[in-house]
Amino acid sequence: MIEMKNVSKLYGNVRALKDVNVTVGNGEFVFIVGASGAGKSTFIKLLLKEIEPTSGQIIVNNTDLSLMKRKHIPYYRRNLGVVFQDFRLLPDKTVYDNVAFAMEIVEASGKEIRRQVPAVLSLVGLASKANAYPHELSGGEQQRTSLARALVNNPSILIADEPTGNLDPATAREIMKIINVINHRGTTVIMATHAKEIVNAMKKRVITFRKGMIVSDQDKGEYFGEV
Amino acid sequence: MAALFVLGIIMATIINLDNIVAGLESKVEVTVYLKKGTTQGDIETVYNRINSWEGIVEVEFISKEEALENWRKEMGSKSYLLDGYNEENNPLPDTFRIKVERPEYVENIVTNARKLSAVDQVRYSADVVRAIMSIAGTTRLIGLSIVVLLSVMSVIIINNTIKLTVYSRRREINIMKYIGATDWYIRWPFLIEGMVLGLFGAVLAGGAVAGLYAILLEKANDMESILSIFGLLPMKDIMYPVLLVFALIGCLIGISASMLSIRKHLKV
Repeated sequence: MIEMKNVSKLYGNVRALKDVNVTVGNGEFVFIVGASGAGKSTFIKLLLKEIEPTSGQIIVNNTDLSLMKRKHIPYYRRNLGVVFQDFRLLPDKTVYDNVAFAMEIVEASGKEIRRQVPAVLSLVGLASKANAYPHELSGGEQQRTSLARALVNNPSILIADEPTGNLDPATAREIMKIINVINHRGTTVIMATHAKEIVNAMKKRVITFRKGMIVSDQDKGEYFGEV
Repeated sequence: MAALFVLGIIMATIINLDNIVAGLESKVEVTVYLKKGTTQGDIETVYNRINSWEGIVEVEFISKEEALENWRKEMGSKSYLLDGYNEENNPLPDTFRIKVERPEYVENIVTNARKLSAVDQVRYSADVVRAIMSIAGTTRLIGLSIVVLLSVMSVIIINNTIKLTVYSRRREINIMKYIGATDWYIRWPFLIEGMVLGLFGAVLAGGAVAGLYAILLEKANDMESILSIFGLLPMKDIMYPVLLVFALIGCLIGISASMLSIRKHLKV
């Protein structure tokens, strides 16, 4: 459950978000759309508690983020899976190690890692590439690795920031299929994008930002891009 | 490492100088010569007065007979030259030799001694006393400022080294932050790296200082060398404190440098 109440964010004098009110229920799939600079990235960063809102309240899984102490942020983030446009894989680690790394950080046991990593790699269809290095993979495979890493600790929320931005349409559709499967397993998905073909094909809830404000919020919505 | 090496040389110098100074300070003496024909009663009065003053460690009375005897001993085989002197025509005065706790007390003791009626002359080496005091003060001051300066330099050097490592791993740190690694989980490998760098520098510098000091010691033991007059301390007296300080400073510098270089990358 994610709730934003009257959230505004100023960078100096520049308003990035203004009076954002939004509630996302458990297990929902929500697209955050809008042009560059509309406020999508600020919205994502606020959810990750990478930045603080200038005013307003953000509650995630019954926790008020503004009351959260700095030392508790890592434990909060373990409940979120994050995927970025540029994959952010470690180039000197294999696919398997990149995913296992996420479990080592949360101090999972070796036994758990050996059980969980292959399972999540086959979920994203990368079981055969476990020993490959990122530079040996296609963009789609790299993004699947990144998805596997985001999922390996069983987060309740998956946050994806332009996950298909660097991929061709066919590969993007494959990634969307995997994200959809993840959503059907009960994970809440928040995906920022401006790929209208994908948004319109998925028929999910769409929240549109313009100049830092929510201009529309529709179930089974559509996005036609900026005019 | 170079900084620690210089620091080590300075420490060895300071420890040795301190030792010399401490040795000289314990030898601060004032000699009081009494007038001829002083009675036993006068001697006792002077003795008691001197003992009542501040900073007195020991007062030794040397009668003129003892003084003559000592002189004879010093002359050794040529003591026949003094054969003309006996108890009646002994030219030497009765003497008090006063050991003083610290050079600062000397001036008062001298002034007071000169006021006593039975006292003929007071001798002390004013220049030596003053020189000792100023050497002791300035070596400590200069040494300490150089040590502080060099420590700051070392922090900057190690800080830059660690900064490079942190910079080359900034993506990894960034990813770790998003996955939910705690600050300490990310920090400790860098702290250990900084500590190892610091200790490594300390060991190298320690070795260099030990090597240099060994050469100095060898020269000092050679009696024809100018260094032999200084009476250098043995190796272990120098290297034990030097290594201890090096290890501590090395660790401290390494850790603080790492903390500094990683700080901004943790703010994600």
